[in-house]
Amino acid sequence: MSIGRTSNGSVLLAKRLMREKRDITENAPEGVVFSDSSDSLMRWNVDIVGASGTLYENERYTLRFKFSAAYPFEAPEVVFVGEEVPVHPHVYSNGHICLSILGDQWSPVLSVSSVCVSILSMLSSCKEKKKPPDDSAYMRYAPSTPRNTTWHFHDDDV
Amino acid sequence: MGNCLKSQGSDDISLLQGGSDGNPAHQQSRSESYSSASPMNESQDHLPFYYPPPEGSHGNQVNEENQIRIAKRIGLIQNLPTGLYDGCKKNQESVSLDSICTCIICMVEFALEDPVRYLPCMHTYHKKCIDDWLMRRLACPSCLEPVDAALLSTFDTS
Ligand SMILES: [Zn+2]
Ligand SMILES: [Zn+2]
Repeated sequence: MSIGRTSNGSVLLAKRLMREKRDITENAPEGVVFSDSSDSLMRWNVDIVGASGTLYENERYTLRFKFSAAYPFEAPEVVFVGEEVPVHPHVYSNGHICLSILGDQWSPVLSVSSVCVSILSMLSSCKEKKKPPDDSAYMRYAPSTPRNTTWHFHDDDV
Repeated sequence: MGNCLKSQGSDDISLLQGGSDGNPAHQQSRSESYSSASPMNESQDHLPFYYPPPEGSHGNQVNEENQIRIAKRIGLIQNLPTGLYDGCKKNQESVSLDSICTCIICMVEFALEDPVRYLPCMHTYHKKCIDDWLMRRLACPSCLEPVDAALLSTFDTS
């Protein structure tokens, strides 16, 4: 995918991503670990560590962020990657996450940091580790990217 | 309880019902159904123009109705006041300093004389930044205040 359709767009995108990268490197929120291992601006891996006192205490997972040319006007694609993904009612076995801010409720004021914080709080508020009820059904036809899934966002009160 | 996946042909009501988790993104009343599957736009020079949705999204046919909707939207956006940035008004206590001095879309501080657009909620953004967003969704990215409520009645009646 190209970086931008207009020079204006690609400048905004690159500048914003570099700022976000600097912010998250210097000022990572609690439980968010970013080590700038890849040299790609358009694809980042960010680790999150479950908060103490929650079901996911000290569990470490990796989120992969992929930015389209339309970022920040369009939500990034965010999935759990790696050996293990958290067992959570909104996290499918393939790492896809059902979270409204990654879909219709996205706003350009959100950022990599705030998305990580939202996902951490989604984990923190979980009272029982279980897979989504439709996990196996979803896995049968899941698209390669969650962006192609139209989610039904129910309340996150799980 | 629920299923994360959206049933076909579902509507905004289901989204509205998902709004009890304290996420500010959820507290918004949706003024329209301009979903992520709709055509997206990007600005070139000043005027946003139409281009087909990216591959992978369920593409709507470019049809006359869409073009009319886009033309109306452009007209509506252009009715919003603009100006040249005239300095950081640090005495406005109600809004945090950061959000007055920085365009939260591109995360760059306003420079004097930058063309900016003022939304009815008094949030300010670079003109080129906010116009791109408003083509996707007519709400302030920061406070999610719909920007069309007042304007639509005068603009959309013909
Ligand atoms: Zn800006
Ligand atoms: Zn606002």
